[in-house]
Amino acid sequence: MAWKRAFPVDLADEGRFSRREFARFLALVSAGFTAGLGYLWLRKKPLAGAPEPVGQKEAPIALGLAADLRPGQSRLFTFRDAQDRCILLRTPMGELRAYRQTCTHLGCAVRFRNDQLECPCHEGFFEVERGFPVQGPPTRPLSGIALELRPDGTLWAVGDLPKPTALPTRAGAACPRDTRMEVEA
Amino acid sequence: MSRPVQSRRGQLADAALVVALLILGIQVYLFETVLQSVLDGQRAVLPGAFAASLVLTAIALFLAFKVPRIDAGPKH
Repeated sequence: MAWKRAFPVDLADEGRFSRREFARFLALVSAGFTAGLGYLWLRKKPLAGAPEPVGQKEAPIALGLAADLRPGQSRLFTFRDAQDRCILLRTPMGELRAYRQTCTHLGCAVRFRNDQLECPCHEGFFEVERGFPVQGPPTRPLSGIALELRPDGTLWAVGDLPKPTALPTRAGAACPRDTRMEVEA
Repeated sequence: MSRPVQSRRGQLADAALVVALLILGIQVYLFETVLQSVLDGQRAVLPGAFAASLVLTAIALFLAFKVPRIDAGPKH
Protein backbone atom coordinates (compact mmCIF):
# COMPACT_ATOMS: atom_id res chain seq x y z
CA MET A 1 0.00 0.00 0.00
CA ALA A 2 1.06 3.56 -0.61
CA TRP A 3 1.03 4.70 3.01
CA LYS A 4 3.25 1.79 4.00
CA ARG A 5 5.81 2.85 1.45
CA ALA A 6 5.55 6.43 2.70
CA PHE A 7 5.92 5.40 6.35
CA PRO A 8 8.10 2.29 6.38
CA VAL A 9 7.67 1.44 10.05
CA ASP A 10 7.69 -2.19 11.06
CA LEU A 11 5.46 -2.39 14.14
CA ALA A 12 6.89 -5.76 15.14
CA ASP A 13 10.37 -4.28 15.30
CA GLU A 14 9.10 -1.17 17.08
CA GLY A 15 7.69 -3.26 19.92
CA ARG A 16 10.84 -5.32 20.29
CA PHE A 17 12.44 -4.90 23.68
CA SER A 18 15.81 -6.57 23.96
CA ARG A 19 17.21 -8.16 27.10
CA ARG A 20 19.95 -5.56 27.12
CA GLU A 21 17.37 -2.75 27.15
CA PHE A 22 15.41 -4.50 29.89
CA ALA A 23 18.57 -4.92 31.99
CA ARG A 24 19.36 -1.22 31.47
CA PHE A 25 15.86 -0.31 32.58
CA LEU A 26 16.31 -2.42 35.74
CA ALA A 27 19.67 -0.76 36.43
CA LEU A 28 18.12 2.68 35.93
CA VAL A 29 15.34 1.94 38.43
CA SER A 30 17.93 0.56 40.84
CA ALA A 31 19.92 3.79 40.49
CA GLY A 32 16.72 5.70 41.22
CA PHE A 33 16.32 3.91 44.53
CA THR A 34 19.95 4.66 45.38
CA ALA A 35 19.41 8.31 44.57
CA GLY A 36 16.32 8.30 46.78
CA LEU A 37 18.28 6.88 49.70
CA GLY A 38 21.02 9.44 49.10
CA TYR A 39 18.42 12.21 49.16
CA LEU A 40 17.02 10.92 52.46
CA TRP A 41 20.53 10.80 53.89
CA LEU A 42 21.49 14.32 52.80
CA ARG A 43 18.15 15.88 53.66
CA LYS A 44 18.50 17.67 56.97
CA LYS A 45 14.85 18.43 57.58
CA PRO A 46 12.87 15.44 58.91
CA LEU A 47 10.18 14.01 56.67
CA ALA A 48 6.57 14.94 57.36
CA GLY A 49 5.35 12.77 60.21
CA ALA A 50 8.85 11.90 61.40
CA PRO A 51 9.97 13.13 64.82
CA GLU A 52 12.76 15.65 65.24
CA PRO A 53 16.13 14.14 66.23
CA VAL A 54 16.16 13.26 69.93
CA GLY A 55 18.00 15.72 72.12
CA GLN A 56 17.07 18.78 70.12
CA LYS A 57 16.21 21.73 72.34
CA GLU A 58 12.52 22.55 72.36
CA ALA A 59 10.66 25.43 73.92
CA PRO A 60 8.68 23.82 76.78
CA ILE A 61 4.92 24.18 76.59
CA ALA A 62 2.85 24.53 79.75
CA LEU A 63 0.00 22.03 79.94
CA GLY A 64 -1.62 23.16 83.17
CA LEU A 65 -1.88 21.38 86.46
CA ALA A 66 -1.28 17.66 86.32
CA ALA A 67 -3.87 17.08 89.05
CA ASP A 68 -6.63 18.47 86.83
CA LEU A 69 -6.52 15.40 84.65
CA ARG A 70 -8.18 12.33 86.16
CA PRO A 71 -7.64 8.74 84.94
CA GLY A 72 -9.36 8.20 81.60
CA GLN A 73 -9.41 11.92 80.75
CA SER A 74 -7.54 13.64 77.96
CA ARG A 75 -6.76 17.14 76.78
CA LEU A 76 -5.60 18.45 73.42
CA PHE A 77 -2.71 20.85 72.98
CA THR A 78 -0.37 22.10 70.27
CA PHE A 79 3.36 21.73 70.64
CA ARG A 80 5.71 23.21 68.04
CA ASP A 81 3.17 25.13 66.03
CA ALA A 82 -0.57 25.33 65.46
CA GLN A 83 -0.46 22.29 63.15
CA ASP A 84 1.44 20.10 65.62
CA ARG A 85 -1.60 18.79 67.46
CA CYS A 86 -1.01 16.51 70.42
CA ILE A 87 -3.08 14.74 73.02
CA LEU A 88 -2.32 14.56 76.71
CA LEU A 89 -4.00 11.77 78.66
CA ARG A 90 -3.98 10.06 81.99
CA THR A 91 -4.04 6.29 81.68
CA PRO A 92 -6.36 4.15 83.83
CA MET A 93 -3.24 3.33 85.88
CA GLY A 94 -2.86 7.04 86.64
CA GLU A 95 0.18 7.74 84.48
CA LEU A 96 0.42 10.76 82.24
CA ARG A 97 1.22 10.27 78.57
CA ALA A 98 1.28 12.59 75.58
CA TYR A 99 1.32 11.70 71.89
CA ARG A 100 1.03 13.45 68.58
CA GLN A 101 -2.52 13.18 67.34
CA THR A 102 -1.37 12.20 63.85
CA CYS A 103 -2.23 8.58 63.10
CA THR A 104 0.73 6.74 61.60
CA HIS A 105 -1.53 5.21 58.95
CA LEU A 106 -2.89 8.11 56.91
CA GLY A 107 -2.58 11.04 59.28
CA CYS A 108 -6.08 11.33 60.76
CA ALA A 109 -6.39 12.71 64.28
CA VAL A 110 -6.50 10.03 66.97
CA ARG A 111 -8.74 10.43 70.02
CA PHE A 112 -8.77 8.92 73.49
CA ARG A 113 -11.79 6.68 73.99
CA ASN A 114 -12.38 3.67 76.18
CA ASP A 115 -8.85 3.80 77.58
CA GLN A 116 -7.32 3.49 74.11
CA LEU A 117 -6.20 5.85 71.41
CA GLU A 118 -8.48 5.39 68.44
CA CYS A 119 -8.20 6.60 64.87
CA PRO A 120 -11.80 6.95 63.68
CA CYS A 121 -10.97 7.06 59.95
CA HIS A 122 -9.96 3.39 59.52
CA GLU A 123 -10.53 1.95 62.99
CA GLY A 124 -6.90 1.90 64.05
CA PHE A 125 -6.24 1.45 67.76
CA PHE A 126 -3.14 2.25 69.80
CA GLU A 127 -2.35 1.26 73.36
CA VAL A 128 -1.75 4.18 75.69
CA GLU A 129 1.40 3.07 77.53
CA ARG A 130 3.82 3.45 74.62
CA GLY A 131 1.61 4.27 71.65
CA PHE A 132 1.94 0.92 69.87
CA PRO A 133 -0.70 -0.05 67.32
CA VAL A 134 -2.81 -2.96 68.53
CA GLN A 135 -5.42 -3.21 65.81
CA GLY A 136 -6.25 -1.88 62.38
CA PRO A 137 -4.13 -0.56 59.52
CA PRO A 138 -1.43 1.38 61.46
CA THR A 139 1.87 -0.49 61.78
CA ARG A 140 4.04 2.13 63.48
CA PRO A 141 3.70 3.56 66.98
CA LEU A 142 2.48 7.08 67.65
CA SER A 143 5.05 9.79 68.15
CA GLY A 144 5.43 10.39 71.89
CA ILE A 145 5.96 13.71 73.66
CA ALA A 146 8.27 13.93 76.69
CA LEU A 147 6.55 15.36 79.77
CA GLU A 148 8.01 17.05 82.81
CA LEU A 149 6.21 17.46 86.12
CA ARG A 150 7.54 20.49 87.96
CA PRO A 151 7.55 20.94 91.73
CA ASP A 152 4.63 23.38 91.60
CA GLY A 153 2.45 20.63 90.09
CA THR A 154 2.43 22.01 86.55
CA LEU A 155 2.99 19.75 83.60
CA TRP A 156 5.20 20.72 80.66
CA ALA A 157 5.77 19.22 77.24
CA VAL A 158 9.52 19.37 76.75
CA GLY A 159 10.39 17.43 73.59
CA ASP A 160 10.06 14.29 71.55
CA LEU A 161 10.39 10.81 72.98
CA PRO A 162 12.48 8.31 70.98
CA LYS A 163 10.29 5.90 69.07
CA PRO A 164 9.86 2.64 70.99
CA THR A 165 11.19 -0.38 69.15
CA ALA A 166 10.24 -3.42 71.24
CA LEU A 167 6.62 -4.49 71.09
CA PRO A 168 5.10 -4.59 74.57
CA THR A 169 4.03 -8.07 75.61
CA ARG A 170 0.51 -7.03 76.45
CA ALA A 171 -0.14 -5.13 73.22
CA GLY A 172 -1.87 -8.12 71.70
CA ALA A 173 -4.14 -8.53 74.69
CA ALA A 174 -5.36 -4.96 74.34
CA CYS A 175 -7.15 -5.66 71.07
CA PRO A 176 -10.61 -4.08 71.35
CA ARG A 177 -12.22 -6.32 68.72
CA ASP A 178 -11.31 -9.42 70.76
CA THR A 179 -12.96 -7.83 73.77
CA ARG A 180 -16.07 -7.09 71.69
CA MET A 181 -16.26 -10.71 70.54
CA GLU A 182 -15.93 -11.94 74.09
CA VAL A 183 -18.85 -9.74 75.13
CA GLU A 184 -20.98 -10.94 72.23
CA ALA A 185 -20.23 -14.57 73.03
CA MET B 1 29.61 -28.51 18.03
CA SER B 2 28.19 -25.01 18.27
CA ARG B 3 24.95 -26.06 19.99
CA PRO B 4 26.43 -26.50 23.55
CA VAL B 5 28.16 -23.13 23.26
CA GLN B 6 24.90 -21.46 22.25
CA SER B 7 23.13 -23.10 25.20
CA ARG B 8 25.84 -21.93 27.60
CA ARG B 9 25.52 -18.38 26.27
CA GLY B 10 21.80 -18.50 26.81
CA GLN B 11 22.28 -19.64 30.42
CA LEU B 12 24.65 -16.77 31.07
CA ALA B 13 22.10 -14.26 29.81
CA ASP B 14 19.35 -15.79 31.92
CA ALA B 15 21.51 -15.68 35.04
CA ALA B 16 22.40 -12.03 34.43
CA LEU B 17 18.75 -11.08 34.05
CA VAL B 18 17.75 -13.04 37.14
CA VAL B 19 20.46 -11.30 39.16
CA ALA B 20 19.33 -7.89 37.84
CA LEU B 21 15.73 -8.66 38.80
CA LEU B 22 16.85 -9.90 42.20
CA ILE B 23 18.81 -6.70 42.75
CA LEU B 24 15.75 -4.62 41.96
CA GLY B 25 13.70 -6.66 44.43
CA ILE B 26 16.31 -6.11 47.13
CA GLN B 27 16.36 -2.39 46.32
CA VAL B 28 12.58 -2.11 46.70
CA TYR B 29 12.67 -3.95 50.03
CA LEU B 30 15.66 -1.90 51.23
CA PHE B 31 14.05 1.41 50.31
CA GLU B 32 10.74 0.53 51.92
CA THR B 33 12.44 -0.65 55.12
CA VAL B 34 14.73 2.35 55.36
CA LEU B 35 11.90 4.79 54.68
CA GLN B 36 9.91 3.24 57.50
CA SER B 37 12.93 3.52 59.83
CA VAL B 38 13.42 7.17 58.88
CA LEU B 39 9.76 7.88 59.57
CA ASP B 40 10.35 6.28 62.98
CA GLY B 41 13.18 8.73 63.58
CA GLN B 42 16.04 6.24 63.12
CA ARG B 43 18.32 7.98 60.65
CA ALA B 44 21.41 6.01 61.64
CA VAL B 45 20.58 3.32 59.10
CA LEU B 46 20.86 5.71 56.15
CA PRO B 47 24.65 5.64 55.50
CA GLY B 48 24.79 1.85 55.52
CA ALA B 49 21.66 1.50 53.44
CA PHE B 50 22.96 4.01 50.90
CA ALA B 51 26.29 2.17 50.64
CA ALA B 52 24.53 -1.18 50.15
CA SER B 53 22.20 0.33 47.56
CA LEU B 54 25.16 1.87 45.74
CA VAL B 55 26.91 -1.51 45.53
CA LEU B 56 23.75 -3.15 44.22
CA THR B 57 23.31 -0.43 41.61
CA ALA B 58 26.93 -0.80 40.51
CA ILE B 59 26.35 -4.53 40.00
CA ALA B 60 23.13 -3.85 38.09
CA LEU B 61 24.88 -1.30 35.88
CA PHE B 62 27.71 -3.73 35.23
CA LEU B 63 25.25 -6.42 34.25
CA ALA B 64 23.35 -4.05 32.00
CA PHE B 65 26.27 -2.49 30.18
CA LYS B 66 29.31 -4.72 30.51
CA VAL B 67 28.17 -8.32 30.62
CA PRO B 68 28.65 -9.77 27.12
CA ARG B 69 26.01 -11.87 25.39
CA ILE B 70 23.14 -10.77 27.62
CA ASP B 71 20.95 -10.80 24.49
CA ALA B 72 21.87 -14.41 23.71
CA GLY B 73 18.70 -15.87 25.13
CA PRO B 74 16.41 -18.33 23.37
CA LYS B 75 15.50 -17.26 19.84
CA HIS B 76 11.83 -16.65 19.08
